[in-house]
Amino acid sequence: MSANFAIAEEVRREGGLLGPDALLERLREVVRRSPAERTELVYIGGRSDLTRYAASTVTQNVSEVGARLWVRVANGQRLGVASVNSADPDAWVEAAKRAHELSLRQPPNPHFTDFAPKASYERVETFVEATARTTPPARAEALVRAFQRADQAGRELSGTFQTSVGEVAVVNSNGVEAYQPLTGAYLKVVAMPKGASANVVAGLAMADGFSRDISQINVERIAEEAMETSARCETVKEIPVGTYDVILKPPCVAEILQWLSFIAFGSRAYLEGSSFLAGKLGQKLLGENVTLYDSFNEPEVGSLPFDFEGTPKRKLTLIERGVAKGVAFDRLDAHEAGAESTGHAGPPGSGFGAIPWNLCMEPGDASLDEMIQSCERGLLVERFHYLNGFLDPPKAMMTGMTRYGTFYIEDGRIKHAVPNLRWLDSMVRAFSQIQRVGRERVVCTDDAGGTFYQLVPALYVKDWQFTGQTG
Amino acid sequence: MYAPKGEVERLKSALQALKAQGAEYADVRWERHRSERILVRNGQVAALTQHQDEGFGIRVLYKGAWGFAASPFLTEQEIEQVARRALEIAKASALTVKEPIRLDDWEPQRGQYASPCERDPFAIPLDAKLELLFRADEILRKAPEVQTAESHLRFHAVEKLFLSSDGAEIAQRFVYSGGGLEVKAVANGEAQQRSYPAAHGGDTAARGFEFIESLKLVENAERAREEALQLLNAEPCPAGEFDVVLDTNQLALQIHESCGHPTELDRALGMELSFAGGSFMTPDQLRKLRYGSELVTLTADATIPGALGSFGYDDEGVPAQRWPLVERGLFVGYLSSRDTAPRIGQRSTGACRAESWNRVPIVRMVNISLEPDPKGPSLEELIADTKRGLFLSTNKAWSIDDRRLNFQFGCEIAWEIKDGKLGRVLKNPVYTGITPEFWNRCDAVCNPKEWRMWGLTNCGKGEPMQTMSVGHGAAPARFRRVRVGGGQS
Repeated sequence: MSANFAIAEEVRREGGLLGPDALLERLREVVRRSPAERTELVYIGGRSDLTRYAASTVTQNVSEVGARLWVRVANGQRLGVASVNSADPDAWVEAAKRAHELSLRQPPNPHFTDFAPKASYERVETFVEATARTTPPARAEALVRAFQRADQAGRELSGTFQTSVGEVAVVNSNGVEAYQPLTGAYLKVVAMPKGASANVVAGLAMADGFSRDISQINVERIAEEAMETSARCETVKEIPVGTYDVILKPPCVAEILQWLSFIAFGSRAYLEGSSFLAGKLGQKLLGENVTLYDSFNEPEVGSLPFDFEGTPKRKLTLIERGVAKGVAFDRLDAHEAGAESTGHAGPPGSGFGAIPWNLCMEPGDASLDEMIQSCERGLLVERFHYLNGFLDPPKAMMTGMTRYGTFYIEDGRIKHAVPNLRWLDSMVRAFSQIQRVGRERVVCTDDAGGTFYQLVPALYVKDWQFTGQTG
Repeated sequence: MYAPKGEVERLKSALQALKAQGAEYADVRWERHRSERILVRNGQVAALTQHQDEGFGIRVLYKGAWGFAASPFLTEQEIEQVARRALEIAKASALTVKEPIRLDDWEPQRGQYASPCERDPFAIPLDAKLELLFRADEILRKAPEVQTAESHLRFHAVEKLFLSSDGAEIAQRFVYSGGGLEVKAVANGEAQQRSYPAAHGGDTAARGFEFIESLKLVENAERAREEALQLLNAEPCPAGEFDVVLDTNQLALQIHESCGHPTELDRALGMELSFAGGSFMTPDQLRKLRYGSELVTLTADATIPGALGSFGYDDEGVPAQRWPLVERGLFVGYLSSRDTAPRIGQRSTGACRAESWNRVPIVRMVNISLEPDPKGPSLEELIADTKRGLFLSTNKAWSIDDRRLNFQFGCEIAWEIKDGKLGRVLKNPVYTGITPEFWNRCDAVCNPKEWRMWGLTNCGKGEPMQTMSVGHGAAPARFRRVRVGGGQS
């Protein structure tokens, strides 16, 4: 069973929420009225608001109420999935009937045994009323102050300010009843020199922040951080393309891990044999200082305590001191692999298998300054852009660009900013040659929903391979 | 009219009420979506889903600033609430206005449009669709090295109603059909894949089930499997400078990333800087930038029947058009919307689109195509004319910088070209370049007989993210002295 959550009536109404009691009762009714032998329901609803701005002016300001129900039914081992965007129980029952019809017209799935059994879930605090009560004028007014400060500093700001309030529920005919309300606030600030064009080469920098509690989003501090980096990279000097040690700030590490979730730690990549972990569990594949795990409840951030099959989430170790320990599974792929579900099922019917949602890396003992001081010749990279990991998955080959500030380091000191660089490298190699691991971790996500995030430190990696430069 | 008749008047009243409350302009889009997706993997139905989706979004311009709100609940009370919220949001946006948004002078349109559809895919029995996929799946799996065989179909029907406060009233209906195959072979630590007819979802068109039949999935399954097996034992593609001939399924993505995105006017005006990025094709470069060689003419065209980026009217009610982006190598045009075009003294080219009712329309691609050379060679003649080079097919990986200059693409397969003949298969080909340098090295585009349209369903842009379907036509083309890297560790 789920923990109890009380939501004020006004917040519930304005946020497009049904609330735990009403929602679970409606879902129970659909299970009762479903014509199928077994029924599983997943509901996601709520409201998301997003203010988008460019050149210190709001350019887009949107609000969306959503309600979507997925119905997965089983008749024997025959599965059918239908979904509908509605909060009307009659429409939900109609969806259950459609799923039932679909199930009867396809062959049995030998990997289906049953829906998840009834379970209890850890309580995670993911709902903050102040976030749910945030209004468009409040977001705009906070931005106006940042715009004024930027104007004084000779900068223009672009970015987004998002808030979301939502609820997720999973109910099935085995008695699973999972419910979790979530709020989130996300601010992204990109600073650039005032009057720069869309072809801006230098002086573009970004800072951001996510929290379930909007009062923890310090708009001025985040804007100042972006403006400060923007000033530091306003003048760039080209360097020869080649191999450099890199100090990757946490957003770079997070982006790599997002890709590894799909191409290495996901159930399909593992079962297909394209993951670098395939057939190698128990073997040392990465450096001793690499420990990666998936966790929905860390001191810094929390998320759903269950997956979309209603399986309770637990901490899942993927890499422990360089040794491959596990991958994420849902119930179907777990059966195919002869394993247990790890609580990482996606919405019903995706067919894409399970992936880790909340990848975390164990911190090390180095500060960013110590990493820079220990670097003879290298690059400090603020962020990456447009990574792609489909090049050669067994080697976790990836390419991407640097973005929002890349700095040349010599003899332990930052010398100057450089233009954005393209790189092409194997992440198996890179994560085997990490020299230092940062002691501070940062929550990285780009969405106010915060269902998916990475909690990662900065890394000092030896011999990163840069292949091109855009001056 | 496809929308529920009783609600249309309520939506019109809501728009007039917004005008009465001081809005300069307001519009509403109601949409109803129906979709079906079938995925057969290794002899099993891995996904069989149907989805229905319906809702409306109201956009309000108040004192030169936009507000937008959307809801799936089309009730009288909800329409009022969503309209109130959209106005409230526009008023909040107006707090930051420096230069008020001005719309262009397109007259309000009234009309209807339906995409061509000979055979309604939703009327085709599910059994027939499954049988097609299982037949292809069986062929794909006829080798022990094949670890994963996937065959898939998807169908999507959309009904749209657009109303504006200045009297526009447009009803449109679309049917989309798509499908493809993917085979992944694994041996000795090597994993290789082949997709048919293209990767990342196969191919999709704004047509009915007749499009699926034209794909001939079953007939092409064996070739896809055999090429995946060949790749397992192939040599890595060598690194160096090569003359490269690109197949149309790779050119589609090359056009998409290096011409489609940088000619989006909102990007070129800096409105996307904080997410997808800017553009090297800024307005000061218009009619000045030598984007490509004389053979490079790239056209935007939303009027091509059956293409994925075609429509009668865009999501601001502007009629579909055809116009050049690059003409004989010269950068001459943008994709634009009613609020971006006036900023460069133009009016909208009708390229403002929204993923669905719950998203605000933004500048998007339509069908962006490389025009064939009427006097160009056939593919066979082009290969014969190439002394030493590579023929690259089917995109595998893609990456491009935030100004759309520095790109790198990986393809599923390469064939060596030696003395005018296709030779051995090479694995993991990767090529890289700088956009205008690359297109200026184009020295041959094949003739119209070799030209074909591709449908891409996964174009991402905007915050919140909007995934859009777009079209890209191309004939195979050759590029001299392209930098090719091995993609090896």
